[in-house]
Amino acid sequence: MIEIRNLSKSYGKLEVLKNINLSINEKEVVVLIGASGSGKSTLLRCLNYLEVAQSGEIIIDSDKIDIAKTDLNKVREKVGMVFQHFNLFPHKTVIENIIEAPIYVRKKSKSEASAKAMELLKKVGLEDKANFYPEQLSGGQKQRVAIARALAMEPKVMLFDEPTSALDPELVGEVLQVMKDLANDGMTMVIVTHEMGFAKEVADRVIMLADGNIIEEGHPSDIFSNPKHERTQRFLNQIL
Amino acid sequence: MIFLQNIVGIFSEHGLAFLKATWTTIAITAISLLFALIIGLIFASFKISSNKILNWIADIYIGVIRGTPLIVQIMFLYYGLANIINLDSFTAGALALGVHSGAYIAEIFRGSVQSIDRGQMEAARSLGMPYSLAMRRIIFPQAFKRSIPSLANQFIIGLKDSSLVAYIAVTDLYNTALGVQGENYMPFETYFVVGIYYLIIVLIFTWIAKRLEQKMDVSKPKEVSIA
Repeated sequence: MIEIRNLSKSYGKLEVLKNINLSINEKEVVVLIGASGSGKSTLLRCLNYLEVAQSGEIIIDSDKIDIAKTDLNKVREKVGMVFQHFNLFPHKTVIENIIEAPIYVRKKSKSEASAKAMELLKKVGLEDKANFYPEQLSGGQKQRVAIARALAMEPKVMLFDEPTSALDPELVGEVLQVMKDLANDGMTMVIVTHEMGFAKEVADRVIMLADGNIIEEGHPSDIFSNPKHERTQRFLNQIL
Repeated sequence: MIFLQNIVGIFSEHGLAFLKATWTTIAITAISLLFALIIGLIFASFKISSNKILNWIADIYIGVIRGTPLIVQIMFLYYGLANIINLDSFTAGALALGVHSGAYIAEIFRGSVQSIDRGQMEAARSLGMPYSLAMRRIIFPQAFKRSIPSLANQFIIGLKDSSLVAYIAVTDLYNTALGVQGENYMPFETYFVVGIYYLIIVLIFTWIAKRLEQKMDVSKPKEVSIA
């Protein structure tokens, strides 16, 4: 589903990603972990070209991405993204947030997009909030709307960039539950998170990054109970 | 008491002339500001653009306009451009006022677009929206709302600045006052009267702007949450 080859990214002299190679299968749930500055968010953002890597290639759903030639908007349609700070459109209601891209990008009719949006809102348990504005929602509700908004484009892959980091502790669970349901539905997911419990339960693979390198990867039970790399051990000790 | 009598006299004698002039002032202001909004939008886009040449063009335009007096710009356009193309004073005045306000409005738009959280653009792009669509549908509506107070301020400045077109013989409010006081030798009363005209227009406009601002405030709940 996703194939990353020799991906490197730097900001000026600072190398954030160093020659990353990674392949992600269909329906796989991959969790990226690592200390802040390890490059995990950058790697995720490279996958839908919010960050443009200097070298390397990314193949998503068998389309090789060459930024000069490929229509990035088409790639982004296939890749849904959920942000730490939700980034809902504050001037639009919940349902308007969700139908915006299906209508203006996919050229769907308003009624078709709205029907789909209501279905998605039901899925994330917010069908009664369709006509609310984002600012009237709690953080957890906002993030669930953001997930529904991304799903409305029927992506092949969902990227989550620390989706629960900005939430009050009591609201984390509802978002993780939606993500779990999504994983159970067979969505391919790449998640940057510090929720190790969630990673243990849901992830098929955990990838540890440090200084722009993948230093360790494996099944969560192996990584968490028996980390091989000294950096992984230290990181897990600090966080757990 | 004589002051009041004189004022009433000016109103009854020149009321119609002032009313006509009010129309001219409002028309030249409205046309120039419409023009300024378009210029402002274009040059704000130039400034935000990643194209260096467009940035320079915008910087030069804004720099020159902000760096020279409006009266010089009006004279330059009217007497300078009139040699090349035939411009009547009203058109030249509206053009000069528009070009002038446009520079300030460009900066207002640029500031409010850049004040929108970068995550908004990222979210729009990640949904597959092309840059221009994301700008039009997501960024500009939010930026516009944010720029209303500054725009209203600029509009008021534009209205008052329009009095300078009197110097290229547009018969606006100020020019009418000039004529009236030359006739009745009562500058004190005449400028008092014309001041009232300007004040009333500004107050009405301020009220409209306030209403617009309230109306644009989408944060007001459409529905009450029962949960």
